[in-house]
Amino acid sequence: MKTLLRQSLLLIGLALLPAAGQALYYRDKVSWQTPVAASEMVTLPQAQSWSADTIWIDARPQDEFEREHVPGALLLNEDRWNELLPQVLAVWAPEKRVVIYCSSESCGSSREIAHRLRKEAGLTNVFVLEGGWEAWKKEKQ
Amino acid sequence: MNAKRILFLSVVSLWIAATAPAALVWEKTTVELNPALGAPSAVGVFKYENKGNTAVHFKGAPRTSCGCTVAALQKNEVAPGEKGEITATFNIGDRTGVQMKTITVETDDPQNPTTVLTLKANIAQLLELQPAFVFWQAGEEAKPKTILAKAGKGVTLKNVEVTSSSGDFTARVEPGPAGQFKINVQPKDTGKALNATLTVKPDAGTGAAKVYYAQARVMPPGTAKP
Repeated sequence: MKTLLRQSLLLIGLALLPAAGQALYYRDKVSWQTPVAASEMVTLPQAQSWSADTIWIDARPQDEFEREHVPGALLLNEDRWNELLPQVLAVWAPEKRVVIYCSSESCGSSREIAHRLRKEAGLTNVFVLEGGWEAWKKEKQ
Repeated sequence: MNAKRILFLSVVSLWIAATAPAALVWEKTTVELNPALGAPSAVGVFKYENKGNTAVHFKGAPRTSCGCTVAALQKNEVAPGEKGEITATFNIGDRTGVQMKTITVETDDPQNPTTVLTLKANIAQLLELQPAFVFWQAGEEAKPKTILAKAGKGVTLKNVEVTSSSGDFTARVEPGPAGQFKINVQPKDTGKALNATLTVKPDAGTGAAKVYYAQARVMPPGTAKP
């Protein structure tokens, strides 16, 4: 029993060595923090329940937006931020909520847009849609 | 075979498997770029060499994490000893700050079937407007609101020129603290909905003619207060 325990510990120790090495090597290359707080994410049912008080923003590239988008959504991406931002601000009001989506759960552009709207334009009530466009499409199928 | 011998062989096998050289070896999997002010794109090159004994094939085009990045393969097959590269072009658009984009490459190399390459671009900014949007509630006193024009890192602002798209708003520029400029925006009236785009042209003496925009708005009557 003792031998088995010792051997197990030895194996675990050997496995931990390269893991520790990788953790040290990649310590500044991997983001350990979620860029968006859970309170700033919104599920599709939640966002849909806000109805008329919601401004939908599509953060995908223009060609994907033109193919299909959430009805009434406005295009706002970082390719043409300066040019597209005025149309969002023209319909924004303090009591309105802003819901931003990009292609899927893994895309980062909706988070980037949300960050810039808060930081640069000073908007509040800005949310990122969980699952993005994929979640919307799935729900509509 | 006793337990000690089995353990020893397992450890040795694991060690050999973990340290065996991958056929396709990348010179760098992260490339850092510092494009010039106002540059439309940044290009990163990822070099590789097949150090194995058999040819390695790429499985399709590399996948990028963003529509703003395009990665091009030089060839689909890499013979033993052959070198090559993947060129990744990142279209900057109106992005700012540190941008991390990934390129996922898949091969039939059993040692390393998937490699994630990272393009890190530090996008220099000539100017930062804080905030880039000012608004007044309908009926609110039409007092000026200030937008601060801050120079980017390593940039010295000589002057800032501001024009309003509408005569309903005035925009006056005055020097602010630490080389910054204050843009004081004022609506003529807050009794009705108004909109204006403020065009901000910084003069940093660098020759870069980048134009920035800010928005000013009076909310329509009946809009709730924040």
